[in-house]
Amino acid sequence: MFQPVFLPTSVLFAGALLEIVLAGVLSRAAKGWLAFLASALALAAVFALMPAIIHGEVLTATLFDWDASIALVYHVDGLSVLFMLLGAGMGSAILLYSVGYMEEEEEGVTRFYVLMLVFIAGFVMLACSANLLIIYFAWELIGLCSYFLVGFWYKQQVAADGARKVLIITHIAGYGLLAAIILLYVRTGTFVWTDPAVAAAFSGVVVLMMIVAAMAKSVMYPLHTWIPEAMNAPTPVSALLHSACYVKAGAYLIARMYSIGPWHETFGNLLLVIGCVTMLVGVIFALAQTDLKRLLAFHTVSQLGYVVTGLALGTSLGVTAGLFYAASHALFKGTLFMCAGAVQRATGTRDMRKLGGLAARMPVTTLVWLVSAAAIAGVPLTNGFVAKWLLFDAALEAKQAVVVVVAWAVSVLTAFSFLKATVGVFYGIPGHELHVGEIHEVSHSMRVGMGITGALCVVFGFAPQLLMQPVIEPAVRSMGFDWQIQVTWLGIVTGSGTIGVTIGAVAGLALATAFGAGAYRLVRAPAGGRPVSVFSGGEPLPDDDTLGVVDFAEMAEAAFGPIYSLNPDPLYFRIWGEIRDGAAGARRFMTTKVERAPVLTAVVCAAVLLAAVALP
Amino acid sequence: MELMFVGCFAVLACAIALYAASIPQGDRGWWILLAAIVALVVASKLIGGSLIGAIVLDLAELAAVALVWSRGTPEAAAAGRLYLFAIVPAIVCTLIALALIGAGGAQPGPWIERLVVWLVIFGFALKLGLIPFSFWLPAVASAAAPMTTALIVSVVDIATLSELAALRETAPWIFSEHTTAWLAVALLAMFGGAVLALAQNELKRMLAFSTIDDLGFLLLGLIVGGPLGMAGAGLGALSHALSKVVLFGAVGAAEARIGQSVTLDTRGLAARLPVAGAAFIVGALSFIGVPPGFGFVGYWRIYVAATQFGGLVLIMALLAVAALDLLCYARAIHRTWLGAPQVQVAGAPAYLAAGVLASLGLLAVLLGCYPNVLTGAAVPGLLALAR
Repeated sequence: MFQPVFLPTSVLFAGALLEIVLAGVLSRAAKGWLAFLASALALAAVFALMPAIIHGEVLTATLFDWDASIALVYHVDGLSVLFMLLGAGMGSAILLYSVGYMEEEEEGVTRFYVLMLVFIAGFVMLACSANLLIIYFAWELIGLCSYFLVGFWYKQQVAADGARKVLIITHIAGYGLLAAIILLYVRTGTFVWTDPAVAAAFSGVVVLMMIVAAMAKSVMYPLHTWIPEAMNAPTPVSALLHSACYVKAGAYLIARMYSIGPWHETFGNLLLVIGCVTMLVGVIFALAQTDLKRLLAFHTVSQLGYVVTGLALGTSLGVTAGLFYAASHALFKGTLFMCAGAVQRATGTRDMRKLGGLAARMPVTTLVWLVSAAAIAGVPLTNGFVAKWLLFDAALEAKQAVVVVVAWAVSVLTAFSFLKATVGVFYGIPGHELHVGEIHEVSHSMRVGMGITGALCVVFGFAPQLLMQPVIEPAVRSMGFDWQIQVTWLGIVTGSGTIGVTIGAVAGLALATAFGAGAYRLVRAPAGGRPVSVFSGGEPLPDDDTLGVVDFAEMAEAAFGPIYSLNPDPLYFRIWGEIRDGAAGARRFMTTKVERAPVLTAVVCAAVLLAAVALP
Repeated sequence: MELMFVGCFAVLACAIALYAASIPQGDRGWWILLAAIVALVVASKLIGGSLIGAIVLDLAELAAVALVWSRGTPEAAAAGRLYLFAIVPAIVCTLIALALIGAGGAQPGPWIERLVVWLVIFGFALKLGLIPFSFWLPAVASAAAPMTTALIVSVVDIATLSELAALRETAPWIFSEHTTAWLAVALLAMFGGAVLALAQNELKRMLAFSTIDDLGFLLLGLIVGGPLGMAGAGLGALSHALSKVVLFGAVGAAEARIGQSVTLDTRGLAARLPVAGAAFIVGALSFIGVPPGFGFVGYWRIYVAATQFGGLVLIMALLAVAALDLLCYARAIHRTWLGAPQVQVAGAPAYLAAGVLASLGLLAVLLGCYPNVLTGAAVPGLLALAR
């Protein structure tokens, strides 16, 4: 019988299959359009599920036995639909962008589109499955897709190395999820998380192991170090990886844990610490970057810290903030990556030290970048502002003042970092190595792809209720929370300290404005002086009349020097070195003792074995 | 399950033959021995878990020794001698044990029982090359033709393991009353195999040690028993057989084109041999149990059975070994196959061999994506057997 809940995944897998079958006859662009069509149809299928979900229904269906008596069971609720929308929606926009992006790629285009479609399908399957074993299957399926996509240009050592790091860190941490699932199965005899017996068996060990797996997928410190290395992939891959189909998998798992079993405050506190540290470390590392995509990658780390912090608050407002943030982040981060890809495609570099002045040559890309950069920095009238506002309010309501301070500080640093990136890439004087005359806007499909997601950042900033009511509210309810927010055209009413927060915010804003104006008056900017190419904020300009990304990076390194030593990679390499040394020692023993004297070895070991068996 | 093993051996034998027709593995004697081994293994499976079946399988093992020897090089002769040195006492021990147990698998008196257990553990550990009785397997892998080793680890070893599985059914006391000794052997094989695989530079030796490691997993499935443990061992054995042919085949295809052993210092092979590279990657990931590879289908069952048996400690130990396996194969994939090409290839491409590798790799993925093709039939059968 036809089961509509399986339609999104079916369409995506069918699209991947068609890509393989028609590989020999389709042009590169046609392959791109086919992939986009499959993803768009999957998105339409998700939309078709929404009316029932908005009315509070849960759609369940069993398709077939996947492995012996383990069935492919779907349980589609509000939380599932939110993440399905992220996967299929962002996937569609990014695949549309890919049509132009991949047109110049000489080999591997079919491989690219097949992997992208399976990637999205795996994520949708993850969000829908009621069977924990299938969840693990989907978890690793998206892991493998990202591994192959990050290593798409596998003949380049740097791409292959990045892919290896993705595989090792995320797969080993993924064993935490597998162990948790197995423990649940051993205790309950079922893999279906909707079974009440699973909730009873949902112990602290299980939660901890799931959190470890989620940390690696959602780039939580200290398991985040794979993501900056994954930047040597085609930009659509980076966009999909960072916005929706990969880093959000961990956020989904954390959110889903609320539905699976009882949530204890201890788990929340642990995640709050992880989230706050991740926020800070991510943004501080981002400040020091001069590679545009690496900068965005570290901001993904930081922004995922916000998402996890919201989810960890454990209140209705907190999870609302976390989920809204997850959706908003998908939009603005996906857009930022697409803009970065457009810049790289147009100029041949993503090194901000070599870029500059692109606004005149790439006005559409610049506009879309400005909107999405404003969103990530939390500028009002963008979705990022709404997300941050909700998060601050939720933290205040939960009496987590430290979270508010950290989140606020990170927001300031994020704005600072994007000021650097924006000025360094789009304004100021173009780099000496750029052939400015040859730089032009990217293809139509690329501009439309990033334009759609950029526009949505503003739409959901102006009218967050368009996202809140049909998508976020059912998701929050499906996690077992009441809906406590009213969203109207006039604003968001959270019912938690609204007046105080508003008055405080207005007072803070007035104070800051007065302080800025006072400082400006005191400094007294020289009237009629020499015009400069960039806004310097009153800082003295360097000799070459620009304030470049290097100056920002150096400033950050000077200010946060000790924090850069918190990079966990040296520790991982030390562990790897110890393992290799141990293995080399074992090998020496085997070759010098065992393989050279097989008779003696066999006799001695047989005697030991005999003693072990014979002794009572 | 026995029929499934027979089918698997038949498919793999065809694959090995097609591969060898494309990339020569030996002279006429090699082909005769190949046919003899496959026929003997299939015959032993059809005869079933009896003394005669065991003798037929032992003949296949002796033919495998001859197959190693047939390469004619001094290294192959030395490896063949080592293999023979392991196999002869192993055959003697297992046949004595089977004779002592008798047809019904009845439990003898305490001292005979212990003797039988010792003979079984020692005999099978030698046959399978489990650590510390592994001295012959890396030598064979290094010296023999790739498909010879593939045949040994994928057909002969797996048939031997299925003989042990049959013993688990007919004489469960061999395992259940000496669990500690069996567990020690399995864990040593797992950890030792994984660590030693990690230390190898030559890929064929690495594959040999990882075989030992995987056999440790399969043995653990047999030891803990139960429907899931047995099914896990059985399905894991099928995956092992399939993946090892792919892995040895990919390395063999590379060796045939570059004219030397493939080591971790051989860089960027996939750029020159994309099908072999893809097959190696798929085979490796499936072998270590990464979904959607077929290996996961056996592994998750073994993990569950092990957790039921040994709790959190045992599952963490198994996952630690799995992590070592991942490190080992990720290093092999990224050092040898991916990255900028630094090798030159010679000779004509072996399209038939590439087709075989691609087909087997695809089969590993398809079976992993929809294992019910096998488990829908196999697991109920095993459950019935367990009842």
